[in-house]
Amino acid sequence: MNSQTKSAALSADLNNFIYGVSRRNFQNAPELTKIGILLLKNFPAARDAVLEYFAMVFHDAVNVSLNHGDYESDSSANGSLESVTIIGPELCSLGDTWAPFIAPWCINLIMDIATDKANLPNATLQSTEPVRVLLDITTQNLTMLNSEERAKCIDMMLGCRACSWAVGWVGRAEPALVAPRALALGADAARAVLAHLANHPPALFHVRAAIVDLFQEAIKEDGQPEKKREVIPYLLNLASKSDIVLKALTQDIENTLTDEVLDRLGAVCAAHKHSVAWEGVGPASVVTLLLRSDVHCLFLLLKHTQRNVFSRQLLEHLLQKLEYECLFPDRNIPLLMSAAEEIATVRERLLTGNQREQYTLARILILVCNTLPSEFVSTISYLLQYSRNDTTLALLVRIISGTITMHTPNDSTDISTDTERYQNLIKTGVEYALREAMMSDTQIKKCFIENATFNDEKTYLHHFCLNIIKLLRWEGSNRVSYLRTRSISRAVEGNLQRVGAALHEYASLLRVRNTYTMNSLPELPTCHALAELLDRVDITGTKSPPPSVEAILKVVQATVKYFFRCLHIKDAMEKISGVQSACRLLRKLCAQSKLARALALRDLLETAMFREERAFGSRPHAAAPSPHHHLLMHLNQQHGPITQLTQSHTSVFHAGIIGKGVRKAGGPDDADIPPILTTNNELLMGALMSCMDGNSGIVEGATSVSLLLVELVSPDVMYNGLPWPDEDFTKQVSIERELYMRGAVERCAVSRAALRRVARARPALCLASALLRAAAATLLHRLRAHLDRHAQSAEAARELSALSELLSVMALGQLLPHPLSHMLELAPELTASELVQVLRDCLWNYTRDHVPSPALFTCDASGLHWRDPSTCKPPSTYTDTLRLIIQKRISKLGHLYPIMFLNLDKES
Amino acid sequence: MSISDLKHSLRKLEFPACAKEALLKIEQLLVGRVAPTNKQMDAAMEIVSEFVFCEADRRGGRRGGGLNPLQELQLIDIICDYLSACNNETTKNTIFLSLFGGMENQRKLKILCILASMAVSASSTPVLLAVGVWLQQMGCSSPQSLQLVENVIRDHFYLNTTNHAALQSLAGTAPQFVSNFITSVTELYMIDGQNPVKLPPKNLLEVITLWVYTTPTLCTSAQLNAAALPNGAIPMAAVTPFAGLVRWCSLAPLYIDRDAEMVEVQVKKIKLEGERTLKSTTKAHTEWELYMQLQLGVLQSMRAWRRRGPPAALNAQRIAAFTHPIREYTQRLKDRGCDITQDDNLQVSLDRIGQAVQVALASGCVYGNINHLLAALDSLPENRLLKIVVKAHQQAI
Repeated sequence: MNSQTKSAALSADLNNFIYGVSRRNFQNAPELTKIGILLLKNFPAARDAVLEYFAMVFHDAVNVSLNHGDYESDSSANGSLESVTIIGPELCSLGDTWAPFIAPWCINLIMDIATDKANLPNATLQSTEPVRVLLDITTQNLTMLNSEERAKCIDMMLGCRACSWAVGWVGRAEPALVAPRALALGADAARAVLAHLANHPPALFHVRAAIVDLFQEAIKEDGQPEKKREVIPYLLNLASKSDIVLKALTQDIENTLTDEVLDRLGAVCAAHKHSVAWEGVGPASVVTLLLRSDVHCLFLLLKHTQRNVFSRQLLEHLLQKLEYECLFPDRNIPLLMSAAEEIATVRERLLTGNQREQYTLARILILVCNTLPSEFVSTISYLLQYSRNDTTLALLVRIISGTITMHTPNDSTDISTDTERYQNLIKTGVEYALREAMMSDTQIKKCFIENATFNDEKTYLHHFCLNIIKLLRWEGSNRVSYLRTRSISRAVEGNLQRVGAALHEYASLLRVRNTYTMNSLPELPTCHALAELLDRVDITGTKSPPPSVEAILKVVQATVKYFFRCLHIKDAMEKISGVQSACRLLRKLCAQSKLARALALRDLLETAMFREERAFGSRPHAAAPSPHHHLLMHLNQQHGPITQLTQSHTSVFHAGIIGKGVRKAGGPDDADIPPILTTNNELLMGALMSCMDGNSGIVEGATSVSLLLVELVSPDVMYNGLPWPDEDFTKQVSIERELYMRGAVERCAVSRAALRRVARARPALCLASALLRAAAATLLHRLRAHLDRHAQSAEAARELSALSELLSVMALGQLLPHPLSHMLELAPELTASELVQVLRDCLWNYTRDHVPSPALFTCDASGLHWRDPSTCKPPSTYTDTLRLIIQKRISKLGHLYPIMFLNLDKES
Repeated sequence: MSISDLKHSLRKLEFPACAKEALLKIEQLLVGRVAPTNKQMDAAMEIVSEFVFCEADRRGGRRGGGLNPLQELQLIDIICDYLSACNNETTKNTIFLSLFGGMENQRKLKILCILASMAVSASSTPVLLAVGVWLQQMGCSSPQSLQLVENVIRDHFYLNTTNHAALQSLAGTAPQFVSNFITSVTELYMIDGQNPVKLPPKNLLEVITLWVYTTPTLCTSAQLNAAALPNGAIPMAAVTPFAGLVRWCSLAPLYIDRDAEMVEVQVKKIKLEGERTLKSTTKAHTEWELYMQLQLGVLQSMRAWRRRGPPAALNAQRIAAFTHPIREYTQRLKDRGCDITQDDNLQVSLDRIGQAVQVALASGCVYGNINHLLAALDSLPENRLLKIVVKAHQQAI
């Protein structure tokens, strides 16, 4: 462009600008603004005037946007607002040579606007577009200044009372410069500046550095105490007004207030205590500060209570204040919030600290728990898991009761709902503790790796149980008034199912046991503890609503498992006490529900017969053939160099039982019938009996036991009915089945013992008629086969003992009425053929004709079922055989005759 | 019209208008065939302070605020208009000096600075000429002049860097102003005693080099064209920028690294796109080159100096004065144990002094004590050219 025309254009611009500005109206502000910017660029000398005009535009724009802040459409139409949007980017992009002019201008303008609108809330003003643009320009230009000029600008702003927010905002560009300067101001101004500054996270660091520097400076020993006398009161005062300052002071307070620093601080305080500035910062204000600080400050305070009286007073003061403040539910106390955030540390200290710490922290925890139910739950859970002595458990009780009773005045009506709520929380706490304890047991522990375990190391679950048991004992003693409400018991009852599951898991043999975890410890102590815990809880529903069926079933299963684990214990005392507690549990559980009884009985029997049979001396149901013995069939085909013909005189047969190989001479192993009277068997019977408590209970229980026996022993449901068929029928149809069943019963001591028990609870034995029938049928056939050939052999002896057992059971069960019941005494003296006769005529035929059914038994007034011997006298057809045999061998059996037949004759 | 009437009539007007009117009244009061009386002078001064700068109220007391920047701009516009419209050089200078003459007032000086800067921006020749006269009358090295020059430099060489063309043309349109301006500028940079030594910004150096190089008569134009001053005023002697420029050229090698600029060019190459980089490298001179060109321009200007009366272009003492920094530099070299004769920068510096002195003496524009100058030069470190020059002229005298 030709310089002449350019200068002419410039002059024209200048004239327009001057003319437009002098009219003092902002309608054409955007045009004037554009001219102004042009002038700034080409005509730097006019900058003062242009900037002055821009300042006017900004003032106007602020007014406009404050008045029309609500709707956007209007703002774009307004001249000055539009101008502001033009000015903003232009002034930002002028470059660093301009910054020394722009920055002070901006700052002056901000100060003017702020002073002008001092009565408006900062936020409103800050959120207006023009102010934001202005702050942006300022920040941009400040960054382009050198440090000296920048400091000057910031000092300028700090001098202005109304625009601390602006300092805070702009200072974000240079927090290290602003923060110390702000601290040189009065407390109010500094608070405002720092508050705004701290909205910018990176600035926080500098704020803190500045404050800590100031503090360190104040307590430094350099012979100028007068100068620094007021620094600490100032800081405290500032902290009371500003969260930022407080936070900066208390962050990492352990590093700031080391012991030396505190000593020095004590000296400083002592020196200045009586000066004016220190009067405003007494204990009350320190307590107010502490309320707003974090929990580390509390720890520090606690640490110093050891040796410092003032600290103790301060602590008590603080606690009282806290408790008072907590009465207002809507107040958020930062100290408590912080304690809640760091609750893990607090709890740990509660366990490990000295007495004062423990009591203090318990009070703090009560307050925290009261405001935050979730912390209540986790605190309970934590203490239940990790408490190792009475003191800490007592603290737990105190925390629970303190939290519950804190806000319930005695005359409040909604106590029930509130306690209900807290009861639920306690229950959840116990649940968490249980779950976490079990989880902790699966975690790898350092002490195992380092081989530094103690002798009496216990699993976490064990500790948990011990804690709960202790609490329950306290509760039961009724001496602790806090525990009168049985809250712990109720909580455990609520978690019955989980406790049951835990016992189930720990008693299980298949439990995963990783090395280096607590699970690698022997689990029986834990099981005992769990059982004791279950034992102490009220599961009968007398004191509280009965537990759910599901829970009961779980506990039953677990108890049965536990019972069988106990049977394997070597130590007799431990074994007995474990079994007894299992029986106690079963008794309680089964009295409660029939379902539980059914399950318990089935579980007990099934396990005893098929899984734990060795413990009872029973032989396994189907013994695997031992590798060395050969099938009879093969042996019989192997012999000789020539082809064997059947029944030829050269052939040699190996004798034996099919499936068992060659008969061994008197091999005792499979010949023996396992004995019934063993400890384990008796214990199992005790357990079975404890499942059926009470009179009718025993009959019902025995009934189900006999049904169960039939179910467990017989291979299918066919021919399981009560009636005894014709003897021939068994010979032709069901002899295999009968043989199998008899073998099964005979091998299994448990089932025999159970049958005996069942026989006593008349008429339950009737339902096991299929088993009796099987025994009778097989005896009949075998005896008939033997006749007298092997009278002295072991097999014959076995048959005889089986016979006597059958007779005794049937006699016990009143299935054989008066004269027939004496067959038992008769049997040992009879020959095989006689026995066959007796069995067929007296036993089989009688039972065939008198079906053993519960209908035969009448119920008397006391609820007992029995057969009246006077009414059920067997007809002579069934007794004649006996009579004949006795008469024939009267010399030997004569003593029985009067017992059996004399009364009979009298009556007939 | 009496003076009080005059004031009375002016008081009826509002600010911009009254200033405009006041200028005309002052012209009436001061400009005539005979020199104005003291009373007239006083009246004019009162009007200036009350109606133009609005610093005094009607009773002559100080008024608080003065003008705000917008009003200042209005006033400057009015003054500018007035000066441009004025076709008599004497009248114009009279009014200008009466407005800005007594320079104890910082506020007036600020307005003058803006006015000058604005005149540069707008290439307003009449105003610039008036400012040139003012500079000369105030003395180019007076604090006020320096402040004005600094302002102009900041506005046009720091803040606004896009106006080279307009600045270049000034040498043709207002040479007296430019000459006095350069003289003042040389007083700002590379002064003995500054620490660290301030160097002129490159764009300023460029423009000055261009001015001096393209217009050989420029340096002497203030001296040649005597200012049209009001009656009875005492004209001050114009000082040429030769002394200052010779100092710049001679001392520059001591302060400037020959290669420094090269690095900067390379940086630019990376920053800019290919085409423009090419352009800038072909066009841009390094500062070293600029000083070489300036030296040439100065020498040419000296040769163009036509003698009319006694030599008045270059003061011998001032050249003798800046041998001091060279000696200091030499001393530093010696302290470091360097060989003086091998130091390129020092030799170039001494060469330039030798050239300048030789040309100046030859064209007869040196005044003052030449013997003293030659003695001072003789004391400088050894340099072949310098030795020859000194020997030749000592013999001649």
